[in-house]
Amino acid sequence: MPDMPDHPSFVSRKQVTEVYLKAIRLIDDRVTPLLGKATTRVLVQGAAKRLISQYPYLDFLAKMAYADIDPSAIQEQLPDVSPQELAAGLNALLDECFHGLRELTGNIIAPPLHEEVTRHIQQQQQP
Amino acid sequence: MTDNAYHASYGQSDHLKLEKVRQEMEYINTIGKRFVAAIDRFHVHRALLFALQDLYSFSACCILLFDETPQLFIIPCQPLSASFIQEMVQRIVSAAQVVDFPPLDIQHLIATAYMDAPDEVAQYRTQEAMECTEVGSVLNIPLTVENRIIGLLCLFDELVGTFDSEMLRLTTMIADYAAVALDNVRLRERENALWRRAELERQRLELILRSMAEGLLITDEKGMVISLNQSAWQLFNLAQVDIARNQSFYLADIAEERPWLLHLSQMIEWALNGQTITNQELTVGDKDETVPLTLNVSVAPLHDASQNTPRPTGVVAVLNDVTSNKQVERLKDEFVSVVSHELRTPLTAIKGYTQHLIRRIERRLQKARAAHNTQPASMEGQESPESYDLHNLRIIQSQTDHLERLVNDLLDLSQVQSGQLTLHCDTFNLAELLANCVHSAQASSEQHTILLDIQTPESAVVADRERIAQVIGNMLDNAIKYSPHGGQVTVNLERTEEGYRVTIKDEGIGITPEQLDHIFERFYRVRNTTSRQYAGVGLGLYVSKAIIDSHGGTIGVFNNSPIGATFYFTLPFKPVSKPLQLSESL
Repeated sequence: MPDMPDHPSFVSRKQVTEVYLKAIRLIDDRVTPLLGKATTRVLVQGAAKRLISQYPYLDFLAKMAYADIDPSAIQEQLPDVSPQELAAGLNALLDECFHGLRELTGNIIAPPLHEEVTRHIQQQQQP
Repeated sequence: MTDNAYHASYGQSDHLKLEKVRQEMEYINTIGKRFVAAIDRFHVHRALLFALQDLYSFSACCILLFDETPQLFIIPCQPLSASFIQEMVQRIVSAAQVVDFPPLDIQHLIATAYMDAPDEVAQYRTQEAMECTEVGSVLNIPLTVENRIIGLLCLFDELVGTFDSEMLRLTTMIADYAAVALDNVRLRERENALWRRAELERQRLELILRSMAEGLLITDEKGMVISLNQSAWQLFNLAQVDIARNQSFYLADIAEERPWLLHLSQMIEWALNGQTITNQELTVGDKDETVPLTLNVSVAPLHDASQNTPRPTGVVAVLNDVTSNKQVERLKDEFVSVVSHELRTPLTAIKGYTQHLIRRIERRLQKARAAHNTQPASMEGQESPESYDLHNLRIIQSQTDHLERLVNDLLDLSQVQSGQLTLHCDTFNLAELLANCVHSAQASSEQHTILLDIQTPESAVVADRERIAQVIGNMLDNAIKYSPHGGQVTVNLERTEEGYRVTIKDEGIGITPEQLDHIFERFYRVRNTTSRQYAGVGLGLYVSKAIIDSHGGTIGVFNNSPIGATFYFTLPFKPVSKPLQLSESL
């Protein structure tokens, strides 16, 4: 199973947030028809809650529905977090989401979607 | 449209499509009906298994519900080994964590899991595969109702690859039905539990009301009696008021020649206007009877729990039969009356003879003193036996006076109780009377300074001089008695529009708010916090109130800040008869 890119070369927090929010929306698009909207929302928020001790700045994802997050607001809300740190936290979040998906449905959804999301992020990172 | 025309307008592929839709709808309809018809969670389980087993076979289906506490239902479709169950529960706990449920304890969940094994839907595999030992495939689907996850539907199979994405899609649809059905069951169970609790409470309340010794009467917001307990019904029967057990009625409608029912109806009206009336005595029986049936009645407004309505939604009246108390009181009063009269006769004799003896000894001593002036100096300083006798006789006289006051108090009580307190009114000067009383009180107490403050040049009043002197004396006695460390007592007289107002202010122990409510009751005595006992039988203020009431005045007391109490009474220029108060016997 592919891993998420280790050292993303993002230039701004806004860019990082945009890329990963798109990745989350991709997960949403694929999972919602199979498990429903509420499950996808809880999957992401639950993953963010479990990671807060390690990445405290993921707090905004635990409290707010990802559909309501404005990437440019993240730029202002997390002034002390570098783009690389933010990318690491969001990477961990996606890993946790896929771990959750595997717990729920085994290998039915997670492996192909994981590949698709990794590909998507890599494409976004390319200049 | 005819059949031929119908077929002509649709092609073969459309026909197949329609047939497919029809079959799908039939399937959904069948499933839907089963879920809708489910009246408890076990019916939902059966409906669920019925729907799922139409799609594929599996070893077990589990439902984890999260209400106040987690509830796990395991529905095996074939025998499961302990290790299989253990692994299933582990996977359920992990899945529950993913959907953000609170942490679960595996062992506790296993111990409390409910095994539901509906035989009619269980699919038995071959004999070799009788007992599942290892989980091969898992599918955990959140049970969602209106974007709220209420639990998990977990499917397990010993074979690997039992579930695929198409199965997942269909299972999610079935899980949606199951979620709504389970939520409905949960709501129904909660509703039933609330109804059961409410019914139990109602039965308990009914039992309490039925076993109450006091009669209870409840009205609606218009004052119509809508409920009577057993005791109230018996009291009405005792009062020979014929009422049906389960019919509403207005008291005024059944009052006829019974004034007490009109009074009760009036009290209910007051309560409907928000007033609470406590401990009012209603004489129900014939007043000519020795001890008529007497009820002590308290009436209070009933407000609904929300308190949103300003007007009460009804009234509750508590009726207490106090006839036996009245009987005891009457016997006691008769006894007190007889005893005090009987005591008075020998007391008068004792008092008279004591006075006679004192005078005789005083005369003898006067003679002795005259002779003593001619005696030698060696006899001086020796107390004569007559002096000793005189001292003892004065003690007897003082104690007899005290005893006489007690007997007089008891006689006054008898007069008040029997309504025979008669006034002998004439015109006198109230300021002069106050001055005399103050002078007399001051003579008996060196510890206190009694000041007289007359605020009016004119103080003529028509009243019973002796009785008013008794009231003033009593108030001054109390002011002195309850100021054990001395201090100032101020007596004030002022003229008002209606008459005179006398206040007696002390610097004593004061009166607690609880005592204020009872201070004018008979035999009530004030005790201070150190439980110090003060002399007296607790009749002075009771009799004083009766005297002032019979003059048409008012009497009262309030606490001073920071110390002491002030007693006051008002007297009209001449006695007036007051209208009957509710607190008096009706």
